[in-house]
Amino acid sequence: MYFQKKRCVAMLLAGGQGSRLKVLTENTAKPAVPFGGKYRIIDFPLSNCVNSHIDTVGILTQYQPLELNEYIGNGQPWDLNNSHGGVSILPPYARSKGSTWYKGTANAIYQNIRFIDRYNPDQVLILSGDHIYEMDYAKMLRYHEKSEADCTIAVRSVPMEEASRFGIMNTNEDGSIFEFEEKPKHPKSNKASMGIYVFKWSVLKAFLEADEEDPKSENDFGKNIIPNLLSTGHKLMAYEFEGYWKDVGTINSLWEANMDLLGETPAFNIYGSAGRKIYARNYAMPSGFIAKGSEISDSFVAEGCEVYGTVHHSIISTGCTIGKGAEIRDSVIMPNVVIENGVKISHAIVAEDCVIRAGASVGADQEGTIETLEISVIGKGKTISEGAVVAPGEIL
Amino acid sequence: METMGIIFSNIYDSMMGALTEVRTSASIPVGGRYRQIDFILSSMAGSGIRHIGIITKYNYQSLMDHLGSCQEWDLQLNTHGVVFVPPYATGHTGIYRGKLEALHTALPVLESGNQDYVVLADSNIMCAIDFTKVLDAHIESGCDVTVVAKAGLTNGRDIQHFTLRTGETCRAIGMAVDYAAPAGDLVGMGMFIISRKKLIETIYETVPHGKYHLERDFIMEEFNAGKLSVNVYPFQGVALFNQDVESYYKNNMALLEKDVRTSLFQGETPIYTKVRDEVPTHYGHNAQIANCVVADGCRLFGQMENSVVFREVMVEEGAEVRDSIVMQGCTIERGASIQYTILDKDVTVRSGTKLLGSPEHPLIIRKGVTV
Repeated sequence: MYFQKKRCVAMLLAGGQGSRLKVLTENTAKPAVPFGGKYRIIDFPLSNCVNSHIDTVGILTQYQPLELNEYIGNGQPWDLNNSHGGVSILPPYARSKGSTWYKGTANAIYQNIRFIDRYNPDQVLILSGDHIYEMDYAKMLRYHEKSEADCTIAVRSVPMEEASRFGIMNTNEDGSIFEFEEKPKHPKSNKASMGIYVFKWSVLKAFLEADEEDPKSENDFGKNIIPNLLSTGHKLMAYEFEGYWKDVGTINSLWEANMDLLGETPAFNIYGSAGRKIYARNYAMPSGFIAKGSEISDSFVAEGCEVYGTVHHSIISTGCTIGKGAEIRDSVIMPNVVIENGVKISHAIVAEDCVIRAGASVGADQEGTIETLEISVIGKGKTISEGAVVAPGEIL
Repeated sequence: METMGIIFSNIYDSMMGALTEVRTSASIPVGGRYRQIDFILSSMAGSGIRHIGIITKYNYQSLMDHLGSCQEWDLQLNTHGVVFVPPYATGHTGIYRGKLEALHTALPVLESGNQDYVVLADSNIMCAIDFTKVLDAHIESGCDVTVVAKAGLTNGRDIQHFTLRTGETCRAIGMAVDYAAPAGDLVGMGMFIISRKKLIETIYETVPHGKYHLERDFIMEEFNAGKLSVNVYPFQGVALFNQDVESYYKNNMALLEKDVRTSLFQGETPIYTKVRDEVPTHYGHNAQIANCVVADGCRLFGQMENSVVFREVMVEEGAEVRDSIVMQGCTIERGASIQYTILDKDVTVRSGTKLLGSPEHPLIIRKGVTV
């Protein structure tokens, strides 16, 4: 088989369990978690790839991949159903000399060296499947190639007082990195790694092979590969990104990222710039229906919904029904949820296919910072019985 | 794989006013996110029909753009799938006058099939119909042709295109073309099942003799001569006939009723349409929306009541939309108001403009115009 040489192949790490999302990732991988009314988290890096003209993407899956595999399918919604390249799902596999799960982020790429080699790329882009952002990787790639770096790491400025929670890059004036500190107690810089890397493939391949030989290594990009590159004098550059970016690894950050879509000038403008849409797999849903007597303000309501009640500052995803007299405030309702008459929901995430019976209440109105808010969560497919009360912060 | 489909895309073009100036009647937008053809094409695809010819006449660019590779209908196939049949003018045929002549241009498609039966269908009716049931009834009846029809639409006053009368069984005992049939007769839905072989024979026998009207020159004429047995399949679900601007307006408004939506969108087959990757609709802080069908990608800040709104529509704060159909990409500016109006695609209604039609004669604003 003939494989056309590619300038850049993207490898998307989508195998993490996402245990901090609790019930939301009980039976599904984190990148497959619904977001923003009609998307799933993985739509963001995948759409970024297509919008950046990267047409070869390997998706590394491991934890609960069924839903994710089905969602990706042949990659057609993202124009990744090419004959040359396109999207490939890469689960761990058995070999003649035994088989292992992906031990760490670097090991996951190591186990797929043969996949990458088929395209003989100059550069490899490493992405995470749990970030919400819109980014032109082509710009980062050009910056990387122009500066003739071995590795370029995307960074964003965080408030100095929060810098000790992140992996921090200390850079020279020309943007080159001289030091990497994971969650430093006394940070020297506020440039936090976004977990997005471009590597010269020849260099990365050699380091992955060496890392695999090291029994003490955790086979992780942040902990092993990047420090090893730095200590051996390779050229690492920091690429500064100024747009919206959020790691949606926790319940509160997932809730907040959804809320960031709302408002007159939303924190994250999902409409994007011209020609840079976020693509998603679409299902056959009719237009939404908004009944007389309903009240909707400051909200997203997707297609296939029927709204009879009140919705304020919330995300209502495809195929939901909101009954008469129901009140949804500051909440994320995932696809195909039925909310019966008179239900009250506030500061909550309700996962797909749930049924909230008449008169039940979920969460409560509250003030507070994103760290202190108590978001109630109802896991996929659950039924809350008539008149039941789900307390703030309760996770079912 | 025993049935192929033929869809006529230009039926009633001349009755749809400004709406068909830039498109075929098959690609007239309906119901917020659909085009008329979505209903018949989805019904065929959902019934397992995998070889479909779409007969076009003119103005079919928007239709081709809408259907693309037909992947939304899972019809992007290596063998068969969807074939466009544009008119071709040779010594024998030019632009066709009726469905029989149109079928003459589609002979290569009909003859390339290996299926036993053909479903012929217009594209102006909104319904979700399972043709496997129609085919079962057709085979069971032993008749030459089955006509899908709807009961309860005749009243002895309104002229219907094609009506049929049945006796104790579903077998037709009488039929009429362009006739104000009495209550109790059924109205043909422009959908027929016939054996492929019989259809091809019929085309060769009728068209060279100047016959072009499928219902009048073939079905009714041969039935009256005692040469054709006709079975009637009474369709039980909701079927909305878009025959002119008034019915088009009423049928869109009918989608505001729950029963109609349920029959169309949770009916015998799912209804698919072209995917456009719009953001969910954003409802602004002071938006007041009551009794509306709303597609994705809109930004709504004003007042809307009893209306059907397509994708990417902007209604600014202080704008009023009532009893109207607003197609994709329209903007209604602050202080503008519209009632009983159909805005075709990409219309801008400027601040302070007031547009008022009537339910019988809704005002139509042409595609791309600023008023």
